[in-house]
Order: sequence, then structure tokens, then C-alpha cells
Amino acid sequence: MKKFKFRADITTVTVVVFIVCIVLVSVMLMQFRTIEQTDITEIETMRESELRDALVDWEARYDETITQLEAVNGKIGEYNKTIEDSEAASNLIDEELKESNILVGKTDVYGEGVTVTLVDNDNYKIIAENLIDLANELRYAGAEAISINEQRVLAATDIVDMAEYTYILVNSQRIEGPSYVVKAIGDKEYLSSILNLKGSGFVDRYTTLGYNVSSRQENRVEIPKYNGDFEINYMREVESE
Amino acid sequence: MKKKQVAITLGIMCFLLTIAICVQLKTMSSANSTVSQTLSDNELRDEVLRMKERYDNAFADLGNAQKELEKVRQEATQDNGTAEAKEQELKENNMLLGITDVTGEGVEVFLEDAATTDNNLNASWQIIHFDDLQWVINELRNAGAEAIEVNGQRIINTTAITCEGNIIKVNGEKIGSPFTIKAIGSQNLLYGALERAGSWLDEIRNAGNTAEVKKLDNITIVKYSGIIDSEYLKEDK
Repeated sequence: MKKFKFRADITTVTVVVFIVCIVLVSVMLMQFRTIEQTDITEIETMRESELRDALVDWEARYDETITQLEAVNGKIGEYNKTIEDSEAASNLIDEELKESNILVGKTDVYGEGVTVTLVDNDNYKIIAENLIDLANELRYAGAEAISINEQRVLAATDIVDMAEYTYILVNSQRIEGPSYVVKAIGDKEYLSSILNLKGSGFVDRYTTLGYNVSSRQENRVEIPKYNGDFEINYMREVESE
Repeated sequence: MKKKQVAITLGIMCFLLTIAICVQLKTMSSANSTVSQTLSDNELRDEVLRMKERYDNAFADLGNAQKELEKVRQEATQDNGTAEAKEQELKENNMLLGITDVTGEGVEVFLEDAATTDNNLNASWQIIHFDDLQWVINELRNAGAEAIEVNGQRIINTTAITCEGNIIKVNGEKIGSPFTIKAIGSQNLLYGALERAGSWLDEIRNAGNTAEVKKLDNITIVKYSGIIDSEYLKEDK
């Protein structure tokens, strides 16, 4: 009798141990999986700041788009009101054209910004590459209009060295050294801070190399219109279905 | 005898169990922090995706509204000669600004990093850099390109091409090798400028990279995928 009871105990114990083992193994498996996952996402956690930047960026672009969408819808409404009144329609289109011409570069413009002065010195002569570099950095810093020695810099503007670096063409117009003045309209503080950033800003980089380059913030920068023709000979609008 | 066996088995089991639990508890506590961070990160990622989708929808709406505006503008000006001319100029302005898709003859340039590293050449040269793109674009402009696009990004008045670490950005968007640059203009002039002896493309090829130029009769170039407006420009009277 006593022996029998003990045997029953053994069975119980075996079952309990077995169950414990199963639980243990499954818990371990679950945990291994969790750990594996954390390993993968470890890389992704490093990108958290990037994600935050992206979020802010998309939000800003969304807001901009909505603002423009409201403006366009407003214009549609105004045009609809003028269907019977050609005088009013003509005024509306004048207004639109005025705004558009400013952005295209068909008008003289002014605003706050910076001027950057580059002068040839004994060490270095300014070449096209330097001006391309500068225009690119000004665009990166949010410049809305740029000129190089009174030549407006637009999407189609080329900057090239001529005759073994003796002079430079901008918009196929000869610009004269030895001193070059590059003007940009935009947030003057931001433009200036980007240009003078230690190690990566244009002015800092070039000054360190030994170039004669300097920048100045301005409350009023005047930039002339593009003085050529805006010829369109090859491109045409894609017709919407 | 059996009692002893059971006792030993139980003892070993308990011992293993304790060790396993200790190890796992420790691992759990160290993993926990990253697990919760991962969760918030995923939420953040979702939020970014949602925001991008909202932007994409708004941008598509804007495109439709602009087409609608063109239509009503055309209707409103159709009986008025001078207004009609202005409407045409606005259309041209939009092409110049890069806010409409455009098509025409031109060239397509294909650039790709060298596939294998040749030890006889400089490793840094076997990569297409942002200034290579800048230089090719400058040559296209010089040859009279009217519209240019790099990997789906329209080059507009304010486009910057930058390099952050080993990432190239155009209009603030990341792009990578291979690069396809499309340009509308005179096929022959554009091709001739890029393929003349001693051109920049030759330099790129000499470094071991791929550079090809194709003349095409019909190239379509996408519009700028952002908003063009100004905060600081005032018109000079």
C-alpha cells in the first residue's frame, strides 16, 4: 500500500516535471525570438532622429501644399465669377502673371540676403567650378534669387571657363574679374550661417584654403532680371488626357 | 533506490530551472528598454508614412486644381486677345518654372559606379560623385537644355545637389547610382557637347565608371515634386 502510493507520487512528479520542461522550453523560445528581433531593430533605433527629421519635413511640405492648394482653389473661384466679365478676367490674369514672372526671373527683384565677394589673389584665381559650388550652396541654404556679377542665375544658367581660364561665361555673357560679386536673396541669417559653417561652409572652406572670399549680410540686395530671352524651342507641355 | 533517483532528477531540474530563469530575467531587463524604444520607433515610422501619404494626396489634389485653374482661365480669357496671349505666357512660365510635365527631343545620360574595384585606379574615382552630376548638368545647360531631370527630380531655379556623407540629394531627395539624367533640347547639340573629346564623360569613363548617352526623339520630363513660392522676393519697380 505504502509502495503503491509512492509510485503514484512518481507519476505525478514526472508529469509535473514534463509540463515544467515544456513551459520552460516555450518561454525560452519566445525569449530568443524577442532578442533576435531587438537585434534587428537596434539598427533602426539609430535612425530615430532621422525619422523625426523626416516627419517635420513631410509636415512642412504638406502645409505648403495645402496653402498653395487653397490659393489655386481661390483663383478658380475668382475666375468662375468673372466668366461673364472679361475685364475682371483680364485683371486676374495680370495679377497671376505678375507673381509668376517674379519666380521665373523676368523681373528685377530685391529683398534681404547676402553678398559674397570673391577676388583673385596670388594663390588662387576664381574659376567656374568655384562659382558653381557657391551657387549650389546658396540654393541649398534657401536662396530664392541669385546673381553673379549682375547675371541672374536660373535653372538653365551655365557657368563655364573660357580660353584657358582667362575669363568666365555666365548665361553666355562674359563676366569680368578679378573680383566677383555673388548676390542672393533669402533668409540672411540662415544663408550667412550656412556659408560660414566651420569645415563645410563655402566661405570657411575657401578661406582656409587661401582664397580671398568674404560674405556680408544685407537688408536689401538687388538682383536684376535675366537679360536674355526665355526661348522655348524644344519642350512642350504634356497634354493631359 | 527509486526515491533517490527522483530526488536527484528533481534537484537537477530545479537547478537548471533556476539558472535559466535567472539568465532570462537578466536578458529581459536589458532587452526591455530597446523593445519599448522599438515600439515608439515603429509608431514614429507609421506617422512618417501617414504624413507622406497625406502630402502625396494633397500634392495630387494640387495638380488637379492647377489643371482646373488652367481650364477656367482659358475659358475666361478666350474672347479676349490680349488676355489670351497672357494665358499663353503663363503656360510657358509654368514650363520654365518646372511645374508642368514637358516632352520633346533630347538626350538621356546613364551614369553608373564602376562594378568592380580596379586596384590600379583610384577607388574614390570609381564612384559617381555629386559634382560629376553638377558638371554634366552644367554641360547640358551650356548646350542649351531647356529642361533637365535627374532620377525623377526636375532641376529648377532653386535646385541644390548636395552630398551628405555618401548620400546624394537633389531637391532634398536622396538618389543613388545608377543615375539617369534626361535633358530636352537639340539632340545634336546636347550629344555633341557631352561626347566631345576630353569631355567630362570621358573623365568619368577613364576612372572605370559607366557613362552612356542616347539621343531620343521623345523624352518626358517630370514636373517638380514640391512647391515653388517665395517669401523674400519683392519686385523692383
